[in-house]
Amino acid sequence: MVPFELVVPRTVEEAMAALRTTGSGSASVLAGGTDLLNDLDDQRLSPTRVVSLRRLPWRTLDWTGPQLTVGSTLPLRALEQDPEVARRFPGLVQAVRAVGSVALRHQATLGGNVVRSAPASDLVPVLLSLDAEVDLVGPKGDRRVPVDRFVRSSRRVDLAPGELVRSVRLPEARPSSYLWQRVRPANDISQVAVALAFSPAGRTWRVAVGGVSPRPVLLAEPARLLGSGAPDPAAVREAARRAGEEAPFKTDRRASEEYRRRVVRALLARAVASVVDAPEFPR
Amino acid sequence: MTYRPTRLEVNGRSVELPGLPDDERLLDTLRWRLGMKGTKEGCRTGACGACTVLVGGESTLSCLTLTKELDGRAVTTIEVGPEDAVVSRVRSAFSAAGALQCGYCTPGFVMSLAGRLRERGAAASREELLEALGGNLCRCTGYASILRALDQLHRGAP
Repeated sequence: MVPFELVVPRTVEEAMAALRTTGSGSASVLAGGTDLLNDLDDQRLSPTRVVSLRRLPWRTLDWTGPQLTVGSTLPLRALEQDPEVARRFPGLVQAVRAVGSVALRHQATLGGNVVRSAPASDLVPVLLSLDAEVDLVGPKGDRRVPVDRFVRSSRRVDLAPGELVRSVRLPEARPSSYLWQRVRPANDISQVAVALAFSPAGRTWRVAVGGVSPRPVLLAEPARLLGSGAPDPAAVREAARRAGEEAPFKTDRRASEEYRRRVVRALLARAVASVVDAPEFPR
Repeated sequence: MTYRPTRLEVNGRSVELPGLPDDERLLDTLRWRLGMKGTKEGCRTGACGACTVLVGGESTLSCLTLTKELDGRAVTTIEVGPEDAVVSRVRSAFSAAGALQCGYCTPGFVMSLAGRLRERGAAASREELLEALGGNLCRCTGYASILRALDQLHRGAP
């Protein structure tokens, strides 16, 4: 690891200043550190300064009616242990519990997961299915971007120099489910994943898949095939078949394309059953 | 800005760390600066759990933690004395169950379980205790005896 200067600002203004004044050097932003520190060790990143967000007042969970705003540096463990979050966003909590281990989730954050944008992220698919948005602060002002546009590619996001993700906004509580397939259930990376959510306001489904390249995506046609309420078995079969065809799966060292296409069908059918059976599903 | 050394409370003892490099990991501070070799280095990427300690009572991967970020926090390691009733109970359960082979992963397993038990006490279900161990690997595959220790803790043996 190349030595760097660690800065731990207490206010957003201090954080902005720390990101600005690097001259010929470069700055990396540290949230939970569970991903970034590996890149520093391997020298995939060699910043001269690391700005830690740990002491910013962003470890928050705010409800405005049915809308939830998650501070970007709230540890994932706090999110999964909140009973109201589990009731209103079951898919989100299932996805959070798929990330690493308990100890890792004491450190890892929602903001960090989105900004680091690993192709195998368990959280990006579920955020897509919930139509989540990120709230950004930066030298040119604040802006709000849907996660679907914020995440551009593998490890690439729409973040300008000096910008930070302050929070992730979930506009509507949704009956939802996140199911995955992997070699080992704990502390492993998903080979295939499905995030499914039903919007009670729009009476529409959202289907997102993970384990795809270069980033998790929403699948429009399978969502449409599920209709505007509880789908009948034929519609579920058709939506699952389409998901298997439409998802941009590839073969890599974790699984083959064919395996992923088969598994995603089963996962989507199971996810529909679990969402429709939940007491919160609107009749 | 006036210089002030990073301070930690390690196993109930206040520790000052003058001259601490900004990029030093808690794992290296414990092992090489403080000479506390109980916390083990395994993968150094957060995949094996061997380096697990408690920070503010929560299980934490010391290989993925910058020491300077923890200024003012309380760190508990496998070396903590009998005054820590929870860690002591887990250590005794591992000892009684013979829950180790080479022993290298044992401190991480003990601290992961201790963190969960400290948080949940007697209310911790077997599933919760198992989940707490999801990030700990035993390369000897000595899991059967570790699960015996877990079951003994779950049954709440005094």
